[in-house]
Amino acid sequence: MSEVKGAYNVCIIGGGITGTALAYSLCNLGETSVAVFEKSYLSSGSTGRCGGGIRQQWSTKNNVRLAMRSVELFEHFKEDVGTDIEYYQGGYLMLSYDEEEAKQFEKNVEIQREEGLDVEILTPKQVSERYPYINTEDLVLATFCQKDGHANPHKAVIGYAQAARRMGARIYTHTEVLGIDVQNGKVVGVDTNQGYFKCDAVVNASGPWSKQVSQLVGVDLPTESYRHQIFVTEPLENFFPMMAISFAGNFYMRQAQHGQFIMGQGDKDEKPGINYNVTFKFEKELTVKMVKLFPFLRNLRIMRHWSGMYNMSPDAQPIIGQSNIVNNYFYAVGYSGHGFMVAPAVTEALAELIVLGKTTHTDISYLNVDRFANAEVEKEKNVV
Amino acid sequence: MVDNQAGGKRHVDAIVIGAGPAGLCGAIAIAESIGDGTKVLVVDEGIEPGGQLPKQTHKFFGHEGFYASVRGFEIGKRLVDKARELGINFLMQTTLAGIYEDSIVAYDRNSNSVSEYTADYILIATGASERFLLFKNNTLPGVYGAGAVQTLMNQYKVMPGKSFLIIGAGNIGLIVAYQLLQAGAKVKAIVEATSKIGGYMVHANKIMRLGIPILLNHTIISALGEDRVEGAIIAQVDGKFKPIPGTEKEIAVDTICLAVGLQPSVELVAQTGAEIKYISELGGYVPVRDENMKTTVNNVYVAGDLSGIEEASTAMIEGYIAGYNIAQKITGKDMSEKITNMKNELVEFRKGPFAAKVREGLKKMGISFPGGGYREEIQQMPSSLSRLKAVIECPQAIPCNPCETSCPTGAINTGGNINGVPQVDYEKCTGCGICVTKCPGLAIFLVQQREEHSIVGIPYEFLPVPEKGSSVKLLDKNGKYVADGQIDRVMINRKEKTHIAFLKVPKGMEGVVRHFEMSTVSEESQAYICRCEEVSRNDVEKLIDSGITDYEEIRRVLRIGMGPCGGKTCRSVVLQIISEKTGVPISESRLGAFRPPVIPLPIDAIVRYAKGVGTDE
Ligand SMILES: Cc1cc2nc3c(=O)[nH]c(=O)nc-3n(C[C@H](O)[C@H](O)[C@H](O)COP(=O)(O)OP(=O)(O)OC[C@H]3O[C@@H](n4cnc5c(N)ncnc54)[C@H](O)[C@@H]3O)c2cc1C
Ligand SMILES: Cc1cc2nc3c(=O)[nH]c(=O)nc-3n(C[C@H](O)[C@H](O)[C@H](O)COP(=O)(O)OP(=O)(O)OC[C@H]3O[C@@H](n4cnc5c(N)ncnc54)[C@H](O)[C@@H]3O)c2cc1C
Ligand code: SF4
Ligand code: SF4
Repeated sequence: MSEVKGAYNVCIIGGGITGTALAYSLCNLGETSVAVFEKSYLSSGSTGRCGGGIRQQWSTKNNVRLAMRSVELFEHFKEDVGTDIEYYQGGYLMLSYDEEEAKQFEKNVEIQREEGLDVEILTPKQVSERYPYINTEDLVLATFCQKDGHANPHKAVIGYAQAARRMGARIYTHTEVLGIDVQNGKVVGVDTNQGYFKCDAVVNASGPWSKQVSQLVGVDLPTESYRHQIFVTEPLENFFPMMAISFAGNFYMRQAQHGQFIMGQGDKDEKPGINYNVTFKFEKELTVKMVKLFPFLRNLRIMRHWSGMYNMSPDAQPIIGQSNIVNNYFYAVGYSGHGFMVAPAVTEALAELIVLGKTTHTDISYLNVDRFANAEVEKEKNVV
Repeated sequence: MVDNQAGGKRHVDAIVIGAGPAGLCGAIAIAESIGDGTKVLVVDEGIEPGGQLPKQTHKFFGHEGFYASVRGFEIGKRLVDKARELGINFLMQTTLAGIYEDSIVAYDRNSNSVSEYTADYILIATGASERFLLFKNNTLPGVYGAGAVQTLMNQYKVMPGKSFLIIGAGNIGLIVAYQLLQAGAKVKAIVEATSKIGGYMVHANKIMRLGIPILLNHTIISALGEDRVEGAIIAQVDGKFKPIPGTEKEIAVDTICLAVGLQPSVELVAQTGAEIKYISELGGYVPVRDENMKTTVNNVYVAGDLSGIEEASTAMIEGYIAGYNIAQKITGKDMSEKITNMKNELVEFRKGPFAAKVREGLKKMGISFPGGGYREEIQQMPSSLSRLKAVIECPQAIPCNPCETSCPTGAINTGGNINGVPQVDYEKCTGCGICVTKCPGLAIFLVQQREEHSIVGIPYEFLPVPEKGSSVKLLDKNGKYVADGQIDRVMINRKEKTHIAFLKVPKGMEGVVRHFEMSTVSEESQAYICRCEEVSRNDVEKLIDSGITDYEEIRRVLRIGMGPCGGKTCRSVVLQIISEKTGVPISESRLGAFRPPVIPLPIDAIVRYAKGVGTDE
């Protein structure tokens, strides 16, 4: 054990959106004895590499509720947290190129409407009238929710971190958690490359490294990390307000505040494991596909291309909760590619769970890891 | 030319990125050794191969085995000719846009097309880019980097302005000043923030005897002007490089030329996954490599300014070392003799005091080079010279020796090491003047004491060539008028363009007169860090004060380096500010990511390539 450097009620491992938002949410509940440990710089994990999309059009009731609570919090981010994060409710246009998927979309919209979400179903003709710059060839239908949108993930992390710092939390960057001290079934401290810190509770918010970090506690998490690539073009005048996304078409794209187009797609052939390289194959495949659907892209140039990790769970839904093996060990991982958008609601609930012992705003019990003990796993269908 | 099979990757044994002296020599070494140039591909984004060389109209230093005393552009031509003879393929005006996990991607801006390659070995010789300086109004048109000035003037024959202020008295600042003067421009002054001239004294002397002031302990505070540069404010600085209030001076110029140093262009080598380290002695971030120029990635080699800012001569030698090592792996043949020879050349070059920094820097990578072992004594000019003899005024130990190797009678020697201070054996010197025209430092004069006056022969590279008999004003080594004199005769050197003007000077002034003037010659914190996104120093400082001290965090909040330049200019400036404010040396701060492509890649070109349509429709 290295030298004791401090003691905190809650130690959070990971300085991405989850870790920083949780620090903020804990402080909001009056729990300010909080430390965040980030092995690199803030948002160096998936958050700083992600698309920044925020949507509520999900296929299950619980997920819609969680997302809607998040949107409520994003809407007040500027006043509550004190930073402009380029949040913009330009809508999500979900494009379906597949008959079967289109039917599922219609079912999803029913669920969404039941939860009070305002969602439209658009025919290809309506889409091309509204968005003449989209090629609607092969399109079956689209759904649109104006209240969906996007924000700048890096600014969100910095905003949460600065707010948490102001309220008393400590954020240690370039501090890697190397060991978690578990005694008599209870976490008593974390060991880092900057020293040992005592604690009463520890939270795994380590994104791509969730499995390894959990192993430090001796708890297995069924997560795997997969590379996802993404690139950004040079800017154009802003004219494309929404996030355009397709599961069957396998892509998402939006225009950022400064006018650049950010886009990505998934790759079924990816092997699990941390890999931050990028491939030219990705640029070829994605540009060919996107130029066909969005012909104006042809005249743009790619500025930067990078990759990040999706921390996947078996049912493509986050794994969030309190361990029943090591009681003061909490986790918020396995977001499966949509952790940015749900982080405000997830961390609000998790902070409540830690401080009050129960959630008061959103129910997250369905996201507990114990669900995998049941044979039946209901997979979230709406993911790229 | 390599013909592009659209849509498919081409394989080569070795790809060489950068056709400067390092890349060219590397490619030549590989092609010669494997006996097939077509298996080597050289990619360069410039219009013509040669890297820095085509811009250089001056004679190069070094030794004649590596083309010393040949003018820069001529060296480039010779290397390119040799490479072409060997059958090496060149992709010019083509940027190596990225080294991806699955391929090496080149973008040809002429045909607006991309192509993909795979290679067994990669030699990266991307050279260096210019550092940038913060001062008020530094984005005004009329503020140029020295490289841009050289390109415009020497390659495109366009003068970027009429009167210049030059910032930086290293070799590049001194050489650019001299080239500007040759091209007929005015140079009002060279300002240098440190207390000494960083470049070679022989280069400084060339400028000073033309009367151009080199203002030490001075810096530029602001450019003046509405729509373009109309002047500059300079001021004296204290020991911490802070301007001293009250010392500000205004200078009227239409162009400001920045020559404040170079930094290795590490973007591509970083993309290969090779380890990068901050070593200020080598110019900033450099790839870690061994003495065979191999990086921490097994098939990736580096050479030249990329591996540490130095010189064309060492760039060539490093290119050969890298090239022979690659060839050795490709062919399986033992090349150790050639490699050892080249390594010995490097040892000789790097013994001198000007290589001390490079030696220090390399030591940090675990590579040691010995210093010292060269002559430092300066020979005094003999008191009586009744016959025409060479007088050398080359006071520093610099890695250069064309004087020695060019003298037909063997009268000059540098004392056994190329860095040694040259001396003349006056028994052997016949006064032929060959050394005068060969010396790249223009540091050799011819002197003879006659009955009624003395003769001083001066190397002269300006136009028009003075006429015999015309009367001139004699100037000393600082460009100050000392007496009137006359042109005795001119020895024209059409090939090398360094003529010798023989002056009649009053007796006793043969050690003083070093230049002349023809009567016909006329006399005469809003700084942006990131030009692309218009981020100021103030913005960065405010963020650091609020506790955001990581380069990557700052970069993303302020969007620094997200413009078209990809962070080439601003990265080091931001790191500098972070280091100043946090007290953490740059070498300890974390290097941000380098992502492909290194230049914006047109989507259209990728789509056409991917669909196999080839070049522009
Ligand atoms: C290309 C791409 C696009 C995406 N697009 C979207 C989108 O549009 N919308 C959306 O909602 N989501 C999107 N996502 C998913 C989203 O990025 C993630 O779900 C989310 O950022 C997860 O946040 P996090 O804070 O949990 O993890 P991270 O941001 O990955 O943070 C985890 C942090 O933990 C640190 N860490 C790990 N181990 C240790 C240790 N031992 N000690 C100390 N620190 C440690 C890491 O360095 C890292 O910074 C995308 C992801 C990718 C890769
Ligand atoms: C004013 C001046 C005077 C000098 N005088 C002397 C002297 O007298 N003696 C001496 O020995 N040295 C001198 N030097 C130094 C010498 O020019 C350099 O040390 C030498 O050119 C370094 O060679 P290099 O091959 O490493 O790089 P460079 O010559 O800079 O060549 C690098 C090449 O790589 C290309 N490149 C970079 N990135 C890419 C990419 N992504 N895709 C494709 N191509 C790319 C560039 O276009 C360039 O052509 C001088 C330099 C200057 C600027
Ligand atoms: S003048 Fe001629 S002989 Fe004398 S040193 Fe020079 S080259 Fe040699
Ligand atoms: S005198 Fe010799 S060593 Fe000095 S600059 Fe001239 S050629 Fe080089």
